[in-house]
Amino acid sequence: MSHKLLPLALLGLALSGCVTATVDEMVFNVPTDGIGDATVVILGRRHASDYETEPDFIECVGDHISRADKSITVMGELEFINALYPWFEPRTAPLRPQDIDRLMQQEPVAMKMSELKTEYMIWIDGSTVRGDSAGSMTCGIGPGGAGCFGFGTWSNTSEYEAVIWDFTDRAEVGRVNTSATGQSYMPAVVIPIPIIAPVQGTACDGIGDQLLEFLSSEY
Amino acid sequence: MSASTIFASSTVYRTLIQLVGIAVLSVLAGCGVKEVNVQGQFPEPLMTKLPLTLGIWYGEDFRNHEFFDEAKSRKDSEWLVKTGDAQVQMWDTLLNGMFVTIVPMRANPGPDVLNQVVDAVLIPHVDELQYAIPAHTNVKVYEIWMRYRYELVTNTGEPIADWTMTSYGKTPTAFLQSDEAAVNLAAVVALRDAGANFATNFTRVPAVREWLEQKWRRPGEQPHEP
Repeated sequence: MSHKLLPLALLGLALSGCVTATVDEMVFNVPTDGIGDATVVILGRRHASDYETEPDFIECVGDHISRADKSITVMGELEFINALYPWFEPRTAPLRPQDIDRLMQQEPVAMKMSELKTEYMIWIDGSTVRGDSAGSMTCGIGPGGAGCFGFGTWSNTSEYEAVIWDFTDRAEVGRVNTSATGQSYMPAVVIPIPIIAPVQGTACDGIGDQLLEFLSSEY
Repeated sequence: MSASTIFASSTVYRTLIQLVGIAVLSVLAGCGVKEVNVQGQFPEPLMTKLPLTLGIWYGEDFRNHEFFDEAKSRKDSEWLVKTGDAQVQMWDTLLNGMFVTIVPMRANPGPDVLNQVVDAVLIPHVDELQYAIPAHTNVKVYEIWMRYRYELVTNTGEPIADWTMTSYGKTPTAFLQSDEAAVNLAAVVALRDAGANFATNFTRVPAVREWLEQKWRRPGEQPHEP
């Protein structure tokens, strides 16, 4: 079975561009025994005018954490903001841990939070942008068939910051930064072959691993 | 050639013609107007309900609200986005979560109109709407901005308050996401934002606040904020 998968793995590696990633961590207060039966919610910041944290990146980080440590319950972002509508919309979301007090003055909000057992709230801010691109490609179609010829290359950069709020203490307890850059290529001789650098995926793994160290007792 | 073979051939031929027809129509549709009938799910707000019986009246313009390129006519516009159904769905859900009782009014409140008895009637209007897609700007974001005007009137149409609020929704371009899906998502985000703005600021509107204070000063009624 592993022999059959080896060529596929090699092909996958060959078709992946290069990515360099940097992760900075600044943690103030790590829970000693993990988070027990409490839940974690990961939310994207969406109040900037020129970008917004991609929902699929938030989902990726959540999946990374719950896959690595099955004891951690990560609540879905949309499920959480729907359950607490309208208090976590871009216009109304708390920007500082102290703002949680204002929220908890609303009795239904306090009851819902207690029901959800939310212990940590992780805010992720950032985005992946496409940088410079170069090269050209020509494609044609005729009675004999179709094909492309040329070469294209482009870069992608991911910059994300995760801020961890302790919901019980209403305090920021950790901060993780990750940045990743990668160059993708697309040579084409009849068929275009995309060699894509998994920039966002690398940033997701980087930030997910750091958050696991914070949240999980096994890491 | 047997009868059954002829029948099978003609069926295959007809199916082929239909498939080609569908393909041609799909290509032609791609060249025509992009029509979006906004669809989304809107959650009920999590807040203490205001002890009011609020009437709601959606005008024809609001109920059938749509927008298209202002520089062109409706027929020549490249985009036609219908938000009416989604507006009604969102406001019905929001108001049901904000007030103890919601009553859809039989008619636009006025002096000679026989309507249900309520504390006040809310009449929302979409005064202005602007949108931007990546084809208009170099930013890879779909945006929708709306300015709502709200009238709060008595059963007989006497004004209590009249105010405006804005809402904004944007969504980034995404791989394998069509323009229509992205515009729909931006509209849903803008509608959610409109609801969030209304729900969190309704009692802070000076004229509404004054009306509530007067109303709750009467015996047996207590001031209550969301």
